[in-house]
Amino acid sequence: MAPRKRPPAPARGASAPPAPTEAHRPPRFVATKVEIEGREETKIVELPDRNPQPWDDAAELHVVGARVPRMDAVEKVTGGARYTADVLRPGMLWAAVVRAPAAAGRATLDVSAALARPGVRGVLTLDDVRGIRLDGMQLLDDAIHYAGQPLCVVCADHYALARAGAAAVRVTVEPAPHAVNLEQALADGAPRVRSRGNVSPRSPRLIQRGDVDAGLHDAEVTITREYRTPVALHSALEPHGAVAEWEGGRLSVWESTQGIFNTRSDLAKALGLGLSNVRVMKDYMGGGFGAKNGASAAAYLAAVAARKLGRPVRCAWDREGEQTDAGNRSATVQRVTLGAKRDGTLTAIVLDATIPLGMGGWEAGPGRIYHELHACPNVRTSETFVYTNTGPMASFRAPGHTEGAFGLESALNALAGELGLDPLELRRRNYATADQSRDRRYSAKRLDECYRRGAERFGWHDRAARRATTSATHVRRGFGMAACVWGGGGGPPAYATVRLNRDGTADVLTGAQDLGTGSRTVLAQIAAETLGAKLADVRTVLGDTERLPFASNSWGSITTASVGPAVRAAAEEARDRLFEAAAAMLDAGVTELSSRDGVISVRGSERTMTIGEACNRLGDVMIMGQGSRGPNPEQTTIPAFGAHFAEVEVDVETGRVRVVRIVAAHDSGRIINPTLAESQLEGAVLQGLGYALFEERVLDARLGLPMNPTLHDYKVPTMADAPAIEGFFVGGADTVANHTGAKGLAEPPIIPVAPAIAAAVADAIGAEMPEIPMTPWRVLAELKTAG
Amino acid sequence: MRLTVNGQPYDLAIAGHESLVAILRGRLGLTGTKVACGRGECGACTVLIDGKPAYACLTLAAACEGAAVSTIEGLGAAERLHALQQAFIAHDALQCGFCTPGQIMAAAALLAQTPRPTEAEVRHGMSGNLCRCGAYPKIVRAVLDAAQRLEAARGA
Ligand code: FES
Ligand code: FES
Repeated sequence: MAPRKRPPAPARGASAPPAPTEAHRPPRFVATKVEIEGREETKIVELPDRNPQPWDDAAELHVVGARVPRMDAVEKVTGGARYTADVLRPGMLWAAVVRAPAAAGRATLDVSAALARPGVRGVLTLDDVRGIRLDGMQLLDDAIHYAGQPLCVVCADHYALARAGAAAVRVTVEPAPHAVNLEQALADGAPRVRSRGNVSPRSPRLIQRGDVDAGLHDAEVTITREYRTPVALHSALEPHGAVAEWEGGRLSVWESTQGIFNTRSDLAKALGLGLSNVRVMKDYMGGGFGAKNGASAAAYLAAVAARKLGRPVRCAWDREGEQTDAGNRSATVQRVTLGAKRDGTLTAIVLDATIPLGMGGWEAGPGRIYHELHACPNVRTSETFVYTNTGPMASFRAPGHTEGAFGLESALNALAGELGLDPLELRRRNYATADQSRDRRYSAKRLDECYRRGAERFGWHDRAARRATTSATHVRRGFGMAACVWGGGGGPPAYATVRLNRDGTADVLTGAQDLGTGSRTVLAQIAAETLGAKLADVRTVLGDTERLPFASNSWGSITTASVGPAVRAAAEEARDRLFEAAAAMLDAGVTELSSRDGVISVRGSERTMTIGEACNRLGDVMIMGQGSRGPNPEQTTIPAFGAHFAEVEVDVETGRVRVVRIVAAHDSGRIINPTLAESQLEGAVLQGLGYALFEERVLDARLGLPMNPTLHDYKVPTMADAPAIEGFFVGGADTVANHTGAKGLAEPPIIPVAPAIAAAVADAIGAEMPEIPMTPWRVLAELKTAG
Repeated sequence: MRLTVNGQPYDLAIAGHESLVAILRGRLGLTGTKVACGRGECGACTVLIDGKPAYACLTLAAACEGAAVSTIEGLGAAERLHALQQAFIAHDALQCGFCTPGQIMAAAALLAQTPRPTEAEVRHGMSGNLCRCGAYPKIVRAVLDAAQRLEAARGA
């Protein structure tokens, strides 16, 4: 329970505490700041008893930092990995969803024909779920808020029967006018999308520092541009879905989720259950990318249906449901004004943005990166969030920053052109050495190294010589770059237990989840390093609220930096206990022992024993360690940085853009496993490439319906689109951040992709690209305007 | 009807409308084959029917009477990994792994047809298999590497 009074500021940060005396015991529960998805939250943290020595760059590490294979790869390549989509329970029913065929209006349902069909066991309608609300909307509401909204669920013995049942539900819609885009929602006399109006009550959100009017007055060069970004769809290959099963008053749910504990509290609250009567499990997961951060509509529906029908129920979105009703990255319109001195020094950054949110979701907004990325004394951003009759937004890999970077970095590139300055040089001249928006230091910042090494690898400075080397006369080559910043410091609370088994194998238990990022492997590496165990003897167990200690959602690129230190502390405690036991067996002092690769040895002697031997001699005595994540350092911002360099070829006859090469240099502190980190980096670059070139939800404004809710029509990158990607990490451990030195890395690399590619396209065709995706027709249109 | 999956014959009563993937996953418990779209757009459900790649979501089970169906489970087990599976692990050609069985089966079909593909042939031949995690660069490398491993094994 949250304490009523805000606790005092932390007594200490990551540094070692003064030894407590009875008279002067520091408070045990303190407040600390944690940045999650760009939002800073204050969290309570229980100060850990144990604060391991930070692993700095000089630390001798053997397993951490090693390119070991993904530990669950065998399961994944043999088909043995069990995803939520693969969970089958005895007697399980399958649900199919009936969705709204219009963007607004009132629906009347006739389910009698569906109930009469073979194999259909029951339906859920509004009356079954009254009071359950998502994104401020009643689940299965008969008032239609967007096309694709669930109206009713049909449960049957097999999925095909459930679908046939769903098709037999008669839906009558009493139509009402809709507003599915900004123009419609902001027009005079627009239909009311939400009862309190079409503009979010918190809009416009104004954030400023300095005096932009004075900054613009001082400017020698001013540019103003308008940028547009599309609604992008996460399109994880495993759709949202859950299986629910009741045993008396206790509910078990398997869900494809990024947050088992969030899902548990959402379900417990909605169903009026105690938290200990809800168990949420998730083993393997086919991607999330931000859209699976709590109980999904599918989970509520499965739970209620299973209770009503007395059998386990699977409810999962089909692909069309996933592409219309599973969250999205908001579109933006960004009007940007930059003021600068002739030498490139920024004097003012002004953003006026409008963001259609859909029916709800949180207000990520493109504005924050304008305050964070470059040095400038005068910055003002204004963001207006508008409700539309479309599905709610959900955070999508670096939400806000990815959209904002397209505006900010494109404008910066335009300014460089205006000033006749190299875009990289312009950024160097406006290098921020502290977090200006919060007036704090950075834990570490090696963006300069990203700039230098990225440019070197790319051959940025001799790009002019490569310009002419295209294959055909109608193909033009261009080069562009952009940078990023993202909060990846993680923070408490996060807990882990490390348990040694009798044969010396170790279990790492923590309620985090692996979305495909590699958390399972990385956490095992941290534990193996600390224990001095063989990596193959360490297993990470994730994703079960009943059996595992709390860890937060896997979002905001925080898992390694949040849970990693807890695992290390737990493993250290287990190792210390093990050494105490082994010291007697080896006839040595505890401080003389060290362990590596599964062997405990006595310094300066030949005496050794394996961890397995020690554990075996202990019989059923179980060596266990508990660990938790300590507070973040005070008055410190803990970001990750990166710089991307893109090379493209543009066919000026067809307008087709081919990305030839992306060099991506990143600073994310210590990298626990470079191979897996590079996989994340490449994946983010490819998602960014899709955002830059193809991905766009298209709506028919007149009908209010989605036009491309399939993977055929909503284009995500294919293997044929993948460019050469050279992604790498610079710098080393950030020991101010936390004692593992690691920071987040999954989101930053999507941020600079679109503006870097846009700059390269502009460079190739001699016309700026104000809108993504840069489809052939948009490229041709810009070419035409440019003459 | 009789369905042969990974060399094992099954006698099943199958309704005319049931898809092969529904039978594999729902009745035979072979959940390695995934469904991500159910409409022939992503390749997650790729299996081999008489050695040829097919989208199991669009294939009627009843049409497979007498045919030999191979799924990821039949390709190689943990103790005896197929060269493609080994290469996918070695190159970290997967993240969430949801597309991976389909990718591997598509690659197996490609290598059966074209034992020594060029990089362009791999990219072209496998562009029907989507990977939202973006493992493509490493998948290309894994497939080319597996082709070499298989070639070496044949030569030996
Ligand atoms: S599930 Fe069969 S092609 Fe997508
Ligand atoms: S590994 Fe996740 S979709 Fe390919």
